[in-house]
Amino acid sequence: MDILKKSFKKSIWVFHLSTAACNNCDIEVLELLTPKYDVERFGIKLVGSPRHADALLVCGSVNAHAKPRLLEVYRQTPKPCLVVAFGSCGCSSGIFRDSYSIVGPVDKVIKEEDPNALIVYVPGCPPKPEAMIEAIVMGLGVV
Amino acid sequence: MNKEVMKNLKENLKGKIIDMAEVRDNRIYVRVDPKKILDVIEYLFFKYKCKLCTASGMEMREGIEIIYHLAREDKNTLINVKTLVPFPDLEIDSVGKKIPAFRWIEREMNEMLGVTFVGHPDMRRLILADSFPKGKYPLRKNFKHSDVTDEDYDYERSGL
Repeated sequence: MDILKKSFKKSIWVFHLSTAACNNCDIEVLELLTPKYDVERFGIKLVGSPRHADALLVCGSVNAHAKPRLLEVYRQTPKPCLVVAFGSCGCSSGIFRDSYSIVGPVDKVIKEEDPNALIVYVPGCPPKPEAMIEAIVMGLGVV
Repeated sequence: MNKEVMKNLKENLKGKIIDMAEVRDNRIYVRVDPKKILDVIEYLFFKYKCKLCTASGMEMREGIEIIYHLAREDKNTLINVKTLVPFPDLEIDSVGKKIPAFRWIEREMNEMLGVTFVGHPDMRRLILADSFPKGKYPLRKNFKHSDVTDEDYDYERSGL
């Protein structure tokens, strides 16, 4: 756990990935960057490449087309990394759960690749911005 | 306006139409044999200057019913050309061969319902994932969500 504590001690950089989301969660993520919530004061910052990220923020019920893409992004993220399953769809595939094109919520797909992945769940449709800040902070506490 | 349109169709499509009905004051149902669909749509589109709204497919007991929705705007009339593609062959001439506007909707009906459009120039997947198993059609009546699970997907074909 020493290396985990060390790697998450400073600013958390987040890569935002949308896997078949309805866009509502994505809009809510953007609201975090506005002056009202301004997560950059905590050092939480959205980055453009998964290779720079400490945390993956995954929105949406993962469908078959997005699954290989999600795994590819997860492989490119430096380990250890935190995966945030964002929204009802991210946590449990939501109302799309039994659809033919859905291959599972975020945690199921990620755990196929890496059974020891660190996953934080943020339920809500969409979650409040406060909930997401809390999730990242709690995720750091868990680590 | 309907009477005028129906009279024109009766004269110009003699022998190609099974029956015709006026269901609302701006809507006409035309039932056509699937073998003659190309002639009927070509007449309506090129000569009678109808515009394509869309086409829709629906599984019935005897086969899959395809409805081509065409609008004649200056006459304020919507013409629904219905045709029944019977089981088990499910083959019909492609209208998209001559009229490119029909191509995407025919691709959609091909993957969601399993109708084969003979002569379609480009029959790739449109909506479903490239890794979706072949021979399964989500909009068929006997399709259950449990018919396709994660194991059925062929991720080799997912284009990555």
